[in-house]
Amino acid sequence: MSNLKTKGSRKTLTLIFLTLISIFLLSGCNNNGSNDVDTSELPTIAFYAYDSEPVLDWDPSVGTSNEIIIYHNVYETLTRFNSETGDIEPLIAESYKVSEDGMEWVFNIRKDMKFHDGTDVNAEAVKFSIDRTMERNMGAAYIWGAVQEIIVVDEYSVKFILMYPSPIDIISSSSYGAFIMSPDAVTNNDEEWFSQGNEAGSGPYIVDSAKMGEEVVLKKFDEYWGGWNEQFYDKVIIRKVSEVSSRRQLVESGEAQITTYLPAEDIEAMRKKDNITIITSDSFTNAAIHLNTEVEPLNDVRVRQALSYAFPYEDVIKYAAGNYGVQSKGVIPAGIIGYSEDLPQYKFDLDKAQVLLDEAGISEDGFTLSYNYSSGDEIQKKTGELYKAELKKLNIELEIRGMPWDSYFEMAKATNPEDRQDMFAMNWWPENALPSSWFYNLYHSQDEIYWNLSYWSDPIFDELTDAADELSTSDRELAEEKYIEANKLVIEEAPSIFIYDSIKVYATSKEFKGLKANPAYEGVIFFNECYPEN
Amino acid sequence: MKSFIIKRLLFGVVVLFFVILVTFIITRVVPSDPAQKWVGARATAEQLEQATIELGLDKPVYIQFGKYIEDIFRGNLGKSLRSRQPVIEELKTYLPPTIELVIISTIAAIFIGIPLGVASAIKKDKLLDHFSRFTSIGAVSLPVFWVALFLQLIFYSSLKILPLGGQLGIKTELIYQVPDITGFLIFDCLISANWPVLKDALLHMVLPGITIALYPIGLVARMTRSALLEILNEEYIVAAKSYGLPNRLVVWRYAVKNSLGPTITVVTLAIGYSLVNTFLIEAIYSWPGIGSYIAISVTSLDYPAIMGVTIFSTIAYVVLNLIADIVIALDPRVRL
Repeated sequence: MSNLKTKGSRKTLTLIFLTLISIFLLSGCNNNGSNDVDTSELPTIAFYAYDSEPVLDWDPSVGTSNEIIIYHNVYETLTRFNSETGDIEPLIAESYKVSEDGMEWVFNIRKDMKFHDGTDVNAEAVKFSIDRTMERNMGAAYIWGAVQEIIVVDEYSVKFILMYPSPIDIISSSSYGAFIMSPDAVTNNDEEWFSQGNEAGSGPYIVDSAKMGEEVVLKKFDEYWGGWNEQFYDKVIIRKVSEVSSRRQLVESGEAQITTYLPAEDIEAMRKKDNITIITSDSFTNAAIHLNTEVEPLNDVRVRQALSYAFPYEDVIKYAAGNYGVQSKGVIPAGIIGYSEDLPQYKFDLDKAQVLLDEAGISEDGFTLSYNYSSGDEIQKKTGELYKAELKKLNIELEIRGMPWDSYFEMAKATNPEDRQDMFAMNWWPENALPSSWFYNLYHSQDEIYWNLSYWSDPIFDELTDAADELSTSDRELAEEKYIEANKLVIEEAPSIFIYDSIKVYATSKEFKGLKANPAYEGVIFFNECYPEN
Repeated sequence: MKSFIIKRLLFGVVVLFFVILVTFIITRVVPSDPAQKWVGARATAEQLEQATIELGLDKPVYIQFGKYIEDIFRGNLGKSLRSRQPVIEELKTYLPPTIELVIISTIAAIFIGIPLGVASAIKKDKLLDHFSRFTSIGAVSLPVFWVALFLQLIFYSSLKILPLGGQLGIKTELIYQVPDITGFLIFDCLISANWPVLKDALLHMVLPGITIALYPIGLVARMTRSALLEILNEEYIVAAKSYGLPNRLVVWRYAVKNSLGPTITVVTLAIGYSLVNTFLIEAIYSWPGIGSYIAISVTSLDYPAIMGVTIFSTIAYVVLNLIADIVIALDPRVRL
């Protein structure tokens, strides 16, 4: 009897054993690989392990999300923002001219460019692309709000006629909504063509294949007008790897060449590895807390200033942001007009805060404030906790509430100020290197609440920024002065607590060279500039 | 039997209708702005207005619901607000990888779980039983994300014998023609006799497969053990033994076969559970399946997608339960 049973379990054991053996055998062959393919003929591959879907929307007129990491390798814009010099550089446009009044812009198109479908890049294509984006009126179409008409002057020059002066050269360098596409490819195919993973660009890479929501493979466009260096990546794979630990292991093992969106602890651990390079760069993303300036006691500027003094900037940057940030100087991050080294900053000082609160006549019993943040955002959560500890010393109770973005955005837009939160944590990044992205959206007076979530309104500020916007086409120096003045005003009025401008971090394998992170194009790797070092 | 199946299917349709109704209402009540998701986060008021009309959100909810039901009959589940792709296409893309994974791990669960349960029932309170109890309770209670991360560290980072994640390796994708006939990768490789890709695909399945199988293995083993123990005490088993029938025959032919009812129910429920609850495992193994899709849809309040996956999982549960009942009904003791 027992004999039979042992036979049974022996069989099970054999089965398990055999399964294991076959796994090891299979994986063994895989590692050798040489039986199947000659590895020397393999193309050079750059594998970018990205935290989310590489593409949500394939339509270059529509997408405003992750897809820009693909778009900027496949499509091109008229101009590009150079973050090192702060200049607008030519890309599709070889040169451009603006009229005295800033109402007419003429762009001269490079003559030797081809789209991936073989047709010429010309004035007609530029007009077609931007008209299409404006007509579709989705995504970032609003960046072209000033454009009344686009006219083809001749085959290689195109004129923008505006309704009001606007810096079309900078707008043309936007990270989304400004791509030029082949009219042939778009008109000869139906609506669904883009969403099947097709493209109509002129950029250095062509889409080779795409798996919905998961992966995009790019291959080098041999006829690219910009030419190719001696060393380059034949193929680029951008794949969604949502787990931090997986992205880290992929780069550490050398399988992936580059990744980003890593927590500070992981970056520190990876710094110690020989085969990994950590690359940091400025970023145009900054973090702020917007105060509800329409309710008591936050309608008192002294209370708002007190709250700015009571904020533990150093601790938050160190412990919440893992040191990947520098304390903001007002609204605008370094690298964009309106920023100045000389702008004042609030420094953590509880005594000063207390004096201001006393001046404002706040009773010793203090008050309670609510702090809403996007649930799941660990940095915003830790920020709230660190702040709460300091505010307690001033008898101010901070009620920290993590909410799904939709709910807390909805709450922020409530018509009755009392129904809204007191503090709204938010990160902001611009669609292009223009200060109006912050000034106009966040602080300019508006009829309806949208992004002006401190509900602050000041006619002097409006006047200053309106004048600066208009001047930005004709007299950029004077415009800059006015922007800085406006920035200073916001800092004094303290409708928001300006926390930090974040620092962008990439982890790459040692041999991956040429990466120039450009804060105007967050997360985008211009792969034609990168190469494998032998 | 036939009338039973028809009755159950009709009942399933009723269940489905109410699930759709309730989900539809909930997704409209939750504060969110679908039009804004559709056009993009920073769209202007004018863009929003246009989108509201385009999406039919300006109409009363009951009309929207009627339109939705009408569209379902046309096989149209609307477009995702996040990606603006048809939800039906997204389901077609994300379902096959998860279904394949769940099928493979269910097979593993049956072939490992049942023998484990039988062995520990026969060797009750012996070393083997303790071992089996330890492993199966461990399998049920270990957090899957922990197991997944642990397996990756061992088999990818340390031993370097299994891939970290994804459905296929990068080199395989670039060198070989990857078949795409039905969307089920393993199946497609088999019918197109594409062995190198099949090998790579199977290798990529090992770790996620094991991780998903752990829970059903433990469940099946425990269930088999208790059901079998009960039956082994039945008089007819004692009688069979006293007739001198070989032990193996008594156990497998008479006892195990009769103890499978609860096990089958548990397995089908476990399949349903795995189909929609693989989010963590899929995220860790970068598996392009439905679990991650559900998680993203819910967190971004992408209601057409939420509706789509709700319909799918309701159908899956209804069908799986029906199958369980039919299988159990094959036992002549059961009358429907």
